[in-house]
This record gives sequence, C-alpha cells and structure tokens, in this order.
Amino acid sequence: MNATNTPAPAAPDTAPGTAPDGGPAAPSVFSVNGLWKVFGPDKAAAKLPGSADAGLPAAELRERTGCTAAVRDVTFDVRKGEVFVVMGLSGSGKSTLVRCLTRLIEPTAGSLAIDGEDVLAMDATRLRALRRHRAAMVFQHFGLLPHRTVLDNVAYGLEIQGVARGDRRAKAAELVAKVGLDGLQDRRPGQLSGGQQQRVGLARALAADPEVLLFDEPFSALDPLIRREMQEEVARLHHEEGRTMVFITHDLAEALSLGDRIALMRDGRIVQLGTPEEIVGSPADDYVRDFVRDVPREQVLTVRTAMRPATAGEADQGPALAPATTVAEAIQAVARSGGPARVVDAGRCLGVVDDAGLLAVVAGLPAPTGRGVAA
Amino acid sequence: MTATPTPAQAGSRAVVPAQTRKSAARPAGPASARTAPAAQDRPRRGLRGPAAGRAFLLPTGIALVLLIPLAAAFPGDGSWPAALSVDLSGPLGRAGDWIIDHRDSHPLFLHFFGHVSNAVVVAVRAVYVLLLAAGWTGVTALAALVACRLAGIRLALTCAAAFAACGLLGMWVPTMQTLALMVVAVAASVVLGALLGLAAGLSPRADRLLRPVLDTMQILPAFAYLLPMVLVFGIGVPAAVLATVVYAAPPMARLTALGLREADAGVMEAAASLGATGRQRLLTARLPLARPQLLLGVNQAIMTGLSMAVIASVIGAGGLGDRVYQALASVDVGAALAAGIPIVLLAVVLDRTADAAGRRLGAAPVPLSEQHLLRRVFAGWYGRLLTLLAAVAVAVVGRMAGTTAWPGSWTLSLAEPVNSAVAWMTDHLYSGVPVIGGTADWAARFTGWILDPLRGGLQAAPWWLLLLAAGALALLAGTWRTALTAVLALAAVGVLGVWEASLDTLSQVLAAVAVTLVAGFAIAVGAARSARAERLLRPVLDVCQTLPQFVYLIPVVALFGVGRAPAAAAAIVYALPAVVRITVQGLREVDPAVVESARSLGATRGQLLRQVQLPLARPALLLAVNQAVVLVLAVVIIGGLVGGGALGYDVVLGLAQGDLATGLVAGAAIVCLGLLLDRLTQPAKEA
Repeated sequence: MNATNTPAPAAPDTAPGTAPDGGPAAPSVFSVNGLWKVFGPDKAAAKLPGSADAGLPAAELRERTGCTAAVRDVTFDVRKGEVFVVMGLSGSGKSTLVRCLTRLIEPTAGSLAIDGEDVLAMDATRLRALRRHRAAMVFQHFGLLPHRTVLDNVAYGLEIQGVARGDRRAKAAELVAKVGLDGLQDRRPGQLSGGQQQRVGLARALAADPEVLLFDEPFSALDPLIRREMQEEVARLHHEEGRTMVFITHDLAEALSLGDRIALMRDGRIVQLGTPEEIVGSPADDYVRDFVRDVPREQVLTVRTAMRPATAGEADQGPALAPATTVAEAIQAVARSGGPARVVDAGRCLGVVDDAGLLAVVAGLPAPTGRGVAA
Repeated sequence: MTATPTPAQAGSRAVVPAQTRKSAARPAGPASARTAPAAQDRPRRGLRGPAAGRAFLLPTGIALVLLIPLAAAFPGDGSWPAALSVDLSGPLGRAGDWIIDHRDSHPLFLHFFGHVSNAVVVAVRAVYVLLLAAGWTGVTALAALVACRLAGIRLALTCAAAFAACGLLGMWVPTMQTLALMVVAVAASVVLGALLGLAAGLSPRADRLLRPVLDTMQILPAFAYLLPMVLVFGIGVPAAVLATVVYAAPPMARLTALGLREADAGVMEAAASLGATGRQRLLTARLPLARPQLLLGVNQAIMTGLSMAVIASVIGAGGLGDRVYQALASVDVGAALAAGIPIVLLAVVLDRTADAAGRRLGAAPVPLSEQHLLRRVFAGWYGRLLTLLAAVAVAVVGRMAGTTAWPGSWTLSLAEPVNSAVAWMTDHLYSGVPVIGGTADWAARFTGWILDPLRGGLQAAPWWLLLLAAGALALLAGTWRTALTAVLALAAVGVLGVWEASLDTLSQVLAAVAVTLVAGFAIAVGAARSARAERLLRPVLDVCQTLPQFVYLIPVVALFGVGRAPAAAAAIVYALPAVVRITVQGLREVDPAVVESARSLGATRGQLLRQVQLPLARPALLLAVNQAVVLVLAVVIIGGLVGGGALGYDVVLGLAQGDLATGLVAGAAIVCLGLLLDRLTQPAKEA
C-alpha cells in the first residue's frame, strides 16, 4: 500500500483507508452520515441543517436563530475492531456526538446506522435492545449507583435486561475480576478511588458483552498516573478481545496512543479524520497543525514517512524494520548499525531510512524528495 | 450528637431546609444559566445604579398616583376606612351554621368527610388501644430496641429513660394519646407528601402548580390551619389529625420532589444508556438516589407532626398538648411543665431516632465480622423480627405482672414543687431586684417602651402610607410581583376588617424579630469565631430546634406572667436557634481563601468581619431574617393563648366560643400577614 506524499485531503471520507492491522478495510459498525445536532427551540433547530445560516460561527448563530449547533454535518464510519477516537477541545461537540450514536441525545438531522440498521428509525423497544446488548457506554463521571455495591453496580445492566439474580451476579463477579477489582465487590462506589470507580464503570459496560464500547472522556477526571494505568487497561482489553471502541477525549496524547483512527473536531465539525500518523504528519489545516505542534513526532510517525527508495545494493543489507516501526525506534536501529536500515513488509523491501530522513522527521522539515517507493 | 452539621440537624424545623434548598432546587440546564446572573444582582438592584433608581421610582410613582386619591377620598385617623372593608362575620357565621346543621345529612359529609372522619377515628383508636395493650413495658422495650438497632446502646438507654420519665411524671396515658394521634397523622402525611412530591418531582407542570402552594403553606403559622378543619369536621380528633396531616405533608412533599428532581444526571444517563425503561429508571435509580431526601422528609414530617399534634389540642386533640393548654389557661405552670417535659422528651427521642435511621442508611456498611456482638444479633431481616418478638415478649411479661398502665405509686408530682418555685420567683424576681430590676419589670418595660409605641405608631400611621411602605420594601427585596403580593396581602387584612388587631400582631412580630436578630447575630458572630463556643452551643441548638412551638410558652409564663411581652419572649426564644444556626453556617462557609487574603493584607478582626465575612455571608443573613420573621409570627400568634391578644386571641376566642366567623377572619388575616412578612424578607426569589 502506498503512502502518499501529498497532504491528506480534509474531507474525512477520502482519508487513506489503512485498517489497523494493515489489511483491507473492515466492515463498518457505525455508519454516520451528515449528522446534525442543534440545541434550541425545536422549530428553529429543525430548520437549521442545510439552511443558509448553517455555516455561521457559533456566537452569530446563537444571536440570529437562538440555536447552538453542537454537531454539524458529521460523516464517518467506525470499522469493526478498531479504536475510533473523537478528539476536540471542550465545546467542540464530541460528547454530544457520542450520545447521538445511541440516541441518548436525539440527532436533529442526518442518518445513522449500526451494522447497516437505521438507528434513527428504531422504536423505543428496539432502541432499548440496542442500548442493552449492542452498545455500552463508559462515562466521565462514572454514573455509578451510590447505594449499590460494586458487584450490584456491575450487574445493573444485566438486571435491567432481566437476567436472573444468580446468573447476573456470577457474570458480574467474573468481570469484577477481569478489571482487577478482586476483593472489592462488596464496597460501595463512595469507598473507591476514582480509578477504581471507573473500573467498575468499565466492568458494567462490559457485562452486557456489547458489540461496541463507547467511552465519553472516561479518564479525564483521573490523576495522570491512574489515567495512564487505565489507558493501558483499555489497550489490553482491546488487544485481548478486539472489541470495537469509540473513544472520546480532549487529550491528544491519549488519542494518539489509543486510536487506530482519530477524528479531530472543532465547533461541531470534523476538521480532519485519519490515523495518528496522518494527523501528526500531514495536518489538514493550521488549526490541526497548531494542535499537534508539540507532539513528539518521532514517536507517532513511522518509517513509512521517513523512508526513501532504496538505491542499488541497499535493498538487501542493513537491519530490517517493519513498516509500523516508529521513527524513534528506527533512530535507535540506525544509530546502532551505523548505516541505513531497510523497511521490509512481508519479505519485500519497501525502502530505506537513513539518518538524514529520520532527522528531517524529528525536525519537522519537509520530507526528503523522492520519498516513498513506487515499487 | 456528632459534630458534622447533617441536613437533618440543620433542618429540624420544617421551614429551614426548604428555604435553604430553594436556591439549589432550581432546575439545571440552559435556563438556569440565564436566570442565575439576574438572580445574583437583583438584591442590589433597588439600591444602586441608575437603572435601579428607575426600576424603583416608577412603580412607587404609580402607587402614589393610585393611592393618593384613595387617601383623599377616605380621610381618617389612619385606621383602615370602614367603607373599604367587608364584614364577613355574617356570611361566615351562616356558612358555619349551615355546615353544623348539615353535617349529618348532606351527601358531601355523609359520603366523603364522614368516611374520612370515621377512618381517622378508627385508626387513632386502633393505635391507641395497641399502645395501651402493649403496656408501658412493651412500648418502652420496643422503643429502646428499635433505637438500639438503629443507633446503638446509648440512644436505646435515652429512649427507655425518656419513656420512663413520661410515666414517672404521671403522663403515661396522655403521652400514648399524643403518640397514637401522631403515628396516624405522620403516616398519612408521609404518604400524602410522598405522592405529591412524586408528582412534582417527575412532572415539571405539576411542580409549577404545587411549588407556590407548598411554599406558602410552609410559611403559614400552625394556628391558621386549625379553623378550616374545625369548620368541616367540628372540634375533635379528626380535625386535629387532619390539621396535623396538612401541616406536616408539605415538608415531605417538597423534599421528595427535591430529591427526585436533583437525582444525579450522570447516573440517570448511565441508566438510560444501559437501556432501562422509564419504570426501571424510576425504581432502580431515581428513587434510591433520592433516599436521603426522603428520609429527611420523614424526619421533618415527624417533627412538624409532633409540633402540630400538640398545638391541635386547641381543637380537641387531647393528650399532652391538652394538658399544657388546660394548665396554661389557669396559669398553672407546674402542671404545664409536667406535661411539657414529656413533649420535649418525645421530640428529642423521635428526632434522634429518625436522624440515626437516616445516617445508618447513608453510611457505609460495616462488615459483619467487625460489628459489635449486639449489633450482629440484630442485623438483617431476622433482626427486625427478633426486635419485634423481644418487644412482644416484654409486653407479655409486663401484662402477666399486671402492670399495663404505669403503676400509680411510681409517679412523681412535679406540679407542686414547681408551683412553689414559681411562687418564690414571683415574690423575689418579678420586681425590685437591685440594679437589674425584675422579670416583670423587664416585661413591663418591653411592653411600655417598645411594644406600645410601635403599635401606636403603626395604628396611627395612615393606612395608605403603610401600604406604600410595604410595597416599597417588597420591591427593594424582590420583584414587581413580590411588591404586588405584599400590598395585596396588607390590603386584604384591612378589607377583612381586622386592621387594628393585625397591626397589633405586626408590632409584636417586628419588636420580637428585632430582638431576635440582634441577639442571634451577636451570638452567631461569637460562635463562629470560637470553635469551643460553637461546640457548646450546638447541642443546645439541636434540642431547641426540635421542640414544638407550644412548649416555649411554659417557661415564659413562669418568668414573665401573661401578656404581650411573654408572647414576644416565647417567639424570640423559639426563633433564636434557627437564626444563630443559619448565621453561623453562613459565616463558616465564607470562602477561606478570601478570608486568608484579607488577613494577609493586615485586616483586623473587626475589619475582617465587617468587610469580608458579613458581606460574603449576606445570603445566609437574609435567609436568617426571613426565618426569624416566619418563626416569630408563628409563635406570636400562639401567644394569643398566654395573653398576647390580637389575631391569635381572636382564633382562640373563635374556637372557645364556637364563633367560627371571628376565628376564620383572624385566620385569614394571619395568612395575609404571613405572606406579607415572608415577601418583605425574601430576597430575590425565583422570578
């Protein structure tokens, strides 16, 4: 597959479709098309999408129509098995967007499907079934029931589904152990630390064995160390089960470390959608560029960005690197061997990285000419 | 009692938490963002800025234009013009007579009120018989065991001692009568309040309808509820129970609604995200989340219920209140005290038990193995059963020993020693004590130097001037609507034809409020400054706030005799704890960072208090004023029983002589005064 040397186009749909494992694009779980959410008087809100006022900045819009457009014309697909991160600053509409996915907030316009099934057309019963079995959510402020024990909180979703007491408690106990809360099942949420509470929230969401997990800024309320621990926990879970996840965050580092693909939101719109590498390596506009300015590029960008075509003889000497190797790791390899390293994918040499190319990435300079391989 | 100010303690009196929570009860969401800044600067609106001046002058101008011609048309000595008043005694009397005549024949009474009345009588009777059948041993044992289960051995001993004291004082039967009446009334008011609260908590429309009604009901003096009940049910137990139900239900309803409305939005959303149906959300999330407020509501219903059950002795409740009432009527302080002490004990025990129940549910569960042996035995559902069985066993043993009623030889006559002590006080302390004078001298001076001039001034002032003043003050405190309510309420008093009596009551209220506030703020400033003073004060305040209004009359009669001054004194003593508590809390809650920065700038203690603490505690101070007014009015009215005269006396007279018209008119005037005073002191209520 080719890495392009043109900047990634801003239109989200046309972002290069590298699936996480490098294979062909997986089927989409959520398919969102032209979704709008406008808060305000019902009539005015319903009229806004597609009207002339739709493009106004937030303050002006509010003055003109009394409405606030939290989500504006958003289109994306969440593919099976990926971690899809929606990132943006507070007020960018990301939390509203994730709530629209299960209609905790009713979208104003657009279309929304889960596994090809129209979510907006669902009646109350089918919608409840969707929330019970197919998509479970983890909240920033946990949303635990303070009067119940940890075990009963984890079993709460199953209780709502009508699972018998014994079964649901057995299942809940299993999950309590899985998220590392062994021995705490009889505590109340108030007796737990923030990180532990969020583990309960995670276990509760997992209890229903949903197809998709939705995370709404789950770790923003936690201390940095605990946050890292929880991120690793989520990464582990994803690695073990391969469950599809939609992850909302305002923390760029979190987005880059967890996300297979990232949608960057601003004022209700997606300004760029792509892999972490695309976001950092080729920001779509100045806003995104500003956003990712302080990211250590060598830890996000891979050797694909830094490599150049192999000249004769280079293709079979020097250390071999996988295409997903980060620049930082490549620097180590190159420094150790003293010469250029090969980028090898399935036994085929894609190109070569040398110190000049790697340094250019670290310095944020334009890529060396002739980057990328036609072979 | 523990040192933390739990809501149950802070709000042992009905009105306090409801008022404190009013601000918290505003609905969240975009609407609150819009109203919040307006609410914040409204208190200052009338005082500063050009816009404020306009907003104040314009309505005043309009009011002047309207009132001056009226004043010119009805010149007089300041009293309300007779031509503008309506004499309601005729129609009201006829209505009362009609009801009395038709009580046994009209279908409404036969098929509705009759059944209600019978049900109440049967229920009270059943509980009473049950209590008597359990005997003093059974009742005491049950109370102690329940207390033990909820709070441990100390409260259990307190409970047992309290009931034993009731028996010792020879008040076992009246105590059981009061208890029976209360149990029925409180149960009914909890159910009624919970239903109303459920409606208001779940439907914004029901909330909009109910809230003003509940708000108003909470500021009305207990006496105002008596006469309408008597009109329908006649004097007797049904009227007393229903008056208690109506009086005790609003706090429960308000707190239920509050708890349901304030359920953590995050938890509710989480429940919805898991696919819970509406019913599941209510039963598994919203109601359990509201549990602290529900329990607080029950506690409040119990305390207000006791308070009213005692006052309702005036309309035939019987029991302890009746003993106090009879004793006060003949100024027999000893007998009044003998009946008053059980009331106090009952109040304290009930409050502590209800509070402990609330705390136990809120607390984290202690692992079974770490619990005390006694607690472990009584834990769980079988513990409940065990409690009941143990109580029954004790009751049976008591019956076999032949002592269902409290043994007569075990009683202690309190009346005579107390009366001789009072007689001694009358002889030695009433007057002529060197330098400080005597209590009677103080009372006479308070009456002569403060109450009389104030009453004279109010009654001599032209009626339109008073209306204008009421309107202007209400406008300063709140909005246009507040002012309108205040003016209309005062005008209604005049129209009802009880202008003079109402101003008499008003003068007592104003004087008592002034004293309460001066004393209350002084005590609070002292207590807020020293942790030790507050530690000493807190238990006293806790007890004072749980006591029914009625018992405050007993000591003041002993000290000051009868008259307007004792009524005012009782009101002051009654309102003082609430004022102190709210003020201390307000001063304590001042942002420590601001205090620290003022101190770092070198502010003296006085400067700190004047320039930082008091201004920042302003909302609390305003709330304290409002509470003082409402509480003082309630007791000044009851003071009609001890010679306070004015409106309270009219109600008592109306009851005593079966002259319902007089009583009802006075009751209506009390309602109007209550509204007026509340509106004048309620800063920036929701627009």
